[in-house]
Amino acid sequence: MDSSTVKIILLTIHYLFFIYAFTVIGSYIFLAIISAIESIQYIKKNSFVNYNEILSSTVSPSISIIAPAYNESLNIIENVRSLLSSHYVNYDVIIVNDGSKDNSLELLIEAYNLVEVNYLINEQIKTKPLRKGIFKSTNPAFEKLVVIDKENGGKADALNFGINISKSKYVACIDVDCLLLEDSLQKMIKPFLELTDVKVIASGGVIRIANSCTIKDGKLLDVNIPKKLIEIAQILEYLRSFLLGRMAWSRLNGLLVISGAFGMFDKKIAIQVGGYDTNTVGEDMEIIVRMRGYMEEQKIKYKVAYIPDPLCWTEAPDNYKILISQRNRWTRGTIETLRKHRKIGFNPKYNLFGMLSYPYWLFYERLAPIIEVIGILYFVILIALKNVRWDYALAFFILAYLFSVLFTIVAIFSEELTFHQYKKKGTGFKLIIVTLLEPFILHPFILYAALRGNFDYYFNKKKKWGEMTRKGLSKK
Amino acid sequence: MNGLEYLINNFKQFPILIKIVWILSGILFIIIINLLIYLKFLRGYLRNKENIFAKLQSEYESELINYLYASQEEEDPTKLIIVEKMKTCIKDKFNREIFLTVLSKLKNDISGEMAESIEHLYVKSGLIDYSLAKLKSNKWDVKAAGIKELALFEIKNVYSEISKYKDYPKQEVRNEVQLYFVNLFQFKGLDFLNDLKTPISEWNQIQLLEILQKFEDQEITDISHWLKSKNNSVVIFALKLAKIYNQFQVINILLELLAHENKDIRVEAIEVLNYFQTNEAKQILKNNFLNRSTDEQIAFFNMLGGIVEKNDEDFILKNVYHENFEIKTLALKLLKIINIDRFKMLSRSLSDVENQTIFNFLEKN
Repeated sequence: MDSSTVKIILLTIHYLFFIYAFTVIGSYIFLAIISAIESIQYIKKNSFVNYNEILSSTVSPSISIIAPAYNESLNIIENVRSLLSSHYVNYDVIIVNDGSKDNSLELLIEAYNLVEVNYLINEQIKTKPLRKGIFKSTNPAFEKLVVIDKENGGKADALNFGINISKSKYVACIDVDCLLLEDSLQKMIKPFLELTDVKVIASGGVIRIANSCTIKDGKLLDVNIPKKLIEIAQILEYLRSFLLGRMAWSRLNGLLVISGAFGMFDKKIAIQVGGYDTNTVGEDMEIIVRMRGYMEEQKIKYKVAYIPDPLCWTEAPDNYKILISQRNRWTRGTIETLRKHRKIGFNPKYNLFGMLSYPYWLFYERLAPIIEVIGILYFVILIALKNVRWDYALAFFILAYLFSVLFTIVAIFSEELTFHQYKKKGTGFKLIIVTLLEPFILHPFILYAALRGNFDYYFNKKKKWGEMTRKGLSKK
Repeated sequence: MNGLEYLINNFKQFPILIKIVWILSGILFIIIINLLIYLKFLRGYLRNKENIFAKLQSEYESELINYLYASQEEEDPTKLIIVEKMKTCIKDKFNREIFLTVLSKLKNDISGEMAESIEHLYVKSGLIDYSLAKLKSNKWDVKAAGIKELALFEIKNVYSEISKYKDYPKQEVRNEVQLYFVNLFQFKGLDFLNDLKTPISEWNQIQLLEILQKFEDQEITDISHWLKSKNNSVVIFALKLAKIYNQFQVINILLELLAHENKDIRVEAIEVLNYFQTNEAKQILKNNFLNRSTDEQIAFFNMLGGIVEKNDEDFILKNVYHENFEIKTLALKLLKIINIDRFKMLSRSLSDVENQTIFNFLEKN
């Protein structure tokens, strides 16, 4: 290769990076605009909705809350109490003790006066068998509670067992350690009942970070900003993701993921597609992709709805080790799902799902960390070769940094103008300081976790969920 | 040469691309600074607004309590003063919003003479004019809010004006129109169903039924023509009415609905007939059982649970090996009721694990 060919190749690489960065920024601006339109619509639509009649109505459709639990003895009693405190009338709570090695079941039996019951299970989705059985309470106050003790099969398997047991039309799959607000079920069920021209197959809720919030008896009393920078940085990240990203994709009806921490499904369709996939660590994304694919193939008009109200609060990692483990798993889940459903990508048969949502996730979620690392490596090589145009580099670094700060500030504005959860004086200042620091204190670790996720996916197949230690929401 | 001149000279020497990038960075920097200043102002404004809202809310609440506990006379001086005060207050949009919130909350919490008193105040203070003005708005959300207010304060004389919007393109407006009709005119208000062209969402159907159930001793109007409506959502709603209000007189129409082209209507019709324990439906459904959808078949087996007879045995036996778990379970359950010996005989002859599980469960229950 002569020097002119090398120059052409290098120039092509430069332009590809430039185009990629330009389209990333363009897509973020586009999504921010769409999310603003959708947020205004949502606020308008819900400003005069009366949820009371739906709450008390006996003709309201039934909902099963399914919460898998594995070694959750520390908080299980309080968490179940929180799940039982919903204002919705027609619902039950199915706790699936997924082969816990601790005394979760014994604690539940004692706290809720549980006795084993004879239950006919329609095993529409294959799962691991029961261990000690199915339990219900003798106390009428807890009549909505069903506890299943089964052999360990992972979160997806536990959710599938809950779906098999459920007698309701809709299932709300949640993490047992999440705190649901009392009006969350009626808000999540609304899209299923109000849309008349399309079939709603699932609805997803916003996940908010509960670290440092005041929680008592399973109820959120006061919203506080956490002390650690890593926790505040995650708050900003969640605001961007949920209030800008997902809100916009909801408007475009292109949402590919509903958080595993809180999502509601049409049970019949979830069963028709075979329930959760037990062979992936990204079962929450995978089931949505499969359900969408199924609806596209059936040529039925459908929607995956999204509720931006702060309904579900959860504990976020408060140290880098757990954060990296969590994001590693998310990365592997995304890779597994996109690989498994690769026939959908760029396939016009799947309409917007195949031609926009899938490619977006592939390029800007799945490949983004790899492209970023290639860029960093290339930059290091250029430094070594003393071939860096520092005037160019500095200008682009500053532009990228300012854009990332601006995008986060837009997310904060979106939060202030809609749900305004962080009301206390001084909170805004903290959020802004962390906005400026986030590209240095959070992003490098997320990038590292994504790379580790890629590495583990290809070279460490045995790795499954990884570590996720929780302190408990009300134990602070 | 000072620093600024040095920077400008350097900038002039940059290639065009870098010039653009620096200009963009400068613009972003200015935007960020402005947004940060605005954010500080906004957070302060929102906090302040909440405080003022809470303060005025409590002020208006005490004024309203004084109004409600003043004498029944409309010309009572205390009442007149409060009305005049409110008339002035609501000229400001923010104050009006607070006053309306307080008034709405009170209206929802109280009934009888006091509720009527609140309605009078709504009219006398002039709030009604703002609600009527909202009806004329081109914005759907403003229009819907106006209708909601008129419904809450029971303004019946705008019925014809509101009727115009019953098939309004935006669903939220239609919902409020329907709630207005039913809140104010109960079953008579359901007349809008006669020629409704747009669908009623399940969400609104539930709300309408809940409102209707709050009114006791109401005589339900004839629902038969709604059961024959071309609007499927009207038929489904009428089926729910038939069940809740025990409309036995429409059984013949319900039987006709078993042949309706819409599956959801057929399933709902079977469920209502099940509730009425209608024997006539049994033969119709048995005759073309295999041609029906799984949902209808399950609904029919649920229906059989209440009206099963010895002579249904052959039909039930045909379905004990049905591929659908639910139907198979229901069939075996019914067989156990009408012929326990046959049930036990069948249980001994089965080797299939799934069937064995069902048998074991049914034997214990």
